[in-house]
Amino acid sequence: MFQLFNPQVAVENIGPLLGGLLITVELTLVVIVLSLIFALFVALAGMSRITPLRWLMKAYLEVIRGTPLFLQLIYVYYVLPSIGIRLDPFSAGVLALTLNYSGYISEVYRGGIQAIARGQHDAAAALGMTHALAMRRIILPQAIRIIIPTLGNYFIGLFKDTALASAISIQELLYTAQVKAALSYQYFTLYTVVGFLYFAVSFPAARLVGYLERVTRAGYGRRRRP
Amino acid sequence: MKDHSSPHDRPMIEVENLHKHFGPLHVLNGINLSITTGEVVCIIGPSGSGKSTLLRCINHLEVPESGRIRIDGKLAYRDEEGGVFKAHSNRAVAAVRAQVGMVFQHFNLFPHLTVMGNLVEAPIHVLRQPRAAARRRAMELLEMVGLGDKADAYPEELSGGQQQRAAIARALAMDPKAMLFDEVTSALDPELVAEVLAVMRRLAGQGMTMLVVTHEMNFARQAASRVIFMDHGRIVEESSPEQIFGAPREPRTRDFLRTVLDR
Repeated sequence: MFQLFNPQVAVENIGPLLGGLLITVELTLVVIVLSLIFALFVALAGMSRITPLRWLMKAYLEVIRGTPLFLQLIYVYYVLPSIGIRLDPFSAGVLALTLNYSGYISEVYRGGIQAIARGQHDAAAALGMTHALAMRRIILPQAIRIIIPTLGNYFIGLFKDTALASAISIQELLYTAQVKAALSYQYFTLYTVVGFLYFAVSFPAARLVGYLERVTRAGYGRRRRP
Repeated sequence: MKDHSSPHDRPMIEVENLHKHFGPLHVLNGINLSITTGEVVCIIGPSGSGKSTLLRCINHLEVPESGRIRIDGKLAYRDEEGGVFKAHSNRAVAAVRAQVGMVFQHFNLFPHLTVMGNLVEAPIHVLRQPRAAARRRAMELLEMVGLGDKADAYPEELSGGQQQRAAIARALAMDPKAMLFDEVTSALDPELVAEVLAVMRRLAGQGMTMLVVTHEMNFARQAASRVIFMDHGRIVEESSPEQIFGAPREPRTRDFLRTVLDR
């Protein structure tokens, strides 16, 4: 009997697809960690008193924002080898996604840091704190709290953007489904399961971000926690 | 507490020929000022007269174009050699600031820290005090400003008056040689002003060297050892509170006092 959704195909392929999902999650987590760190340096360098450093960060940001992520992935994987930088697909994916997301996240950091009122800098300085100490103990802890929900949304976006990495043969969720579909022609079943798997991660993550948004908006006193 | 009870003639804060512009506005136009240890000096004057800027220059939160500032006899923030200024290192600037407490109009407590956290932050991370000692001292200061039961509260859980008293305690936790007060009651509801002024009076009574920019004329009249009237970036008149409130010499002082007092 002809049917669109073939449960047997779904069951047969769920193992490899879950394996693909695992790669997708791994890729996402590695890029989250690396871009959280790298973006902080980009943000601080972008606000530095050293003019050439500021310009360099500005240029980096404009290139990242002005070109498609898909092209950046392909560029790192296919073009860098011609200047002697040869990376395996996973590393190339990590590099391209990290460079891309660090650009955007550095802007989130910058916004968070600049959202902290001038008076906080004044108070820290008046207490004899150096700029570095004030950043570390006073400004960044407040800024990070402000930007947590925004970061969460970016990382959900990243989780879905990793599907682009299928183009450079990283064996993540979408790539796995493409291979299986090419063999079995069960497009409807396989891609529906893939969609469900992406959603099964994104949706709870989005709820978590929503919760964090309410917590961080509620202020610092325990009295006002939701 | 440090013993401030015997004021001597040693100048704690000296300001010499200070000039500062904001764009075309000459906000400090040759300020000269000397504050002796244990003195309570109030600066009054219309808004825009440069009083807050002067205070911020003394703590190097604003950088003047020219002039010298000495804290406890030492040239602060920069050296001058042959008319050329050489800025001190950030660390040296921070070290001077650590000796001078400052309280702001909008409190500027750190919202992510409890009241206790606000008080011990700089003693632990700037003065390298042991945590236990810093907490003990903080608790004494909180008792002194009447916030002994608020150590674990967050700033936003406090009233404006309580926040400002906590901010005063935070500055005192550094055991400063002098305190700068920048319109510290201006952002408060009228019924909360008294509790902050009471803390400041007590501090003055303990011999703290204080430079107070204020619109509270009664405080200036009662607590000041000297009152300075500023207008258009200059010190117009400077004398005892009895003199300046009873028989001001300068017409501008008289006009100002008439507008703020006769309401």
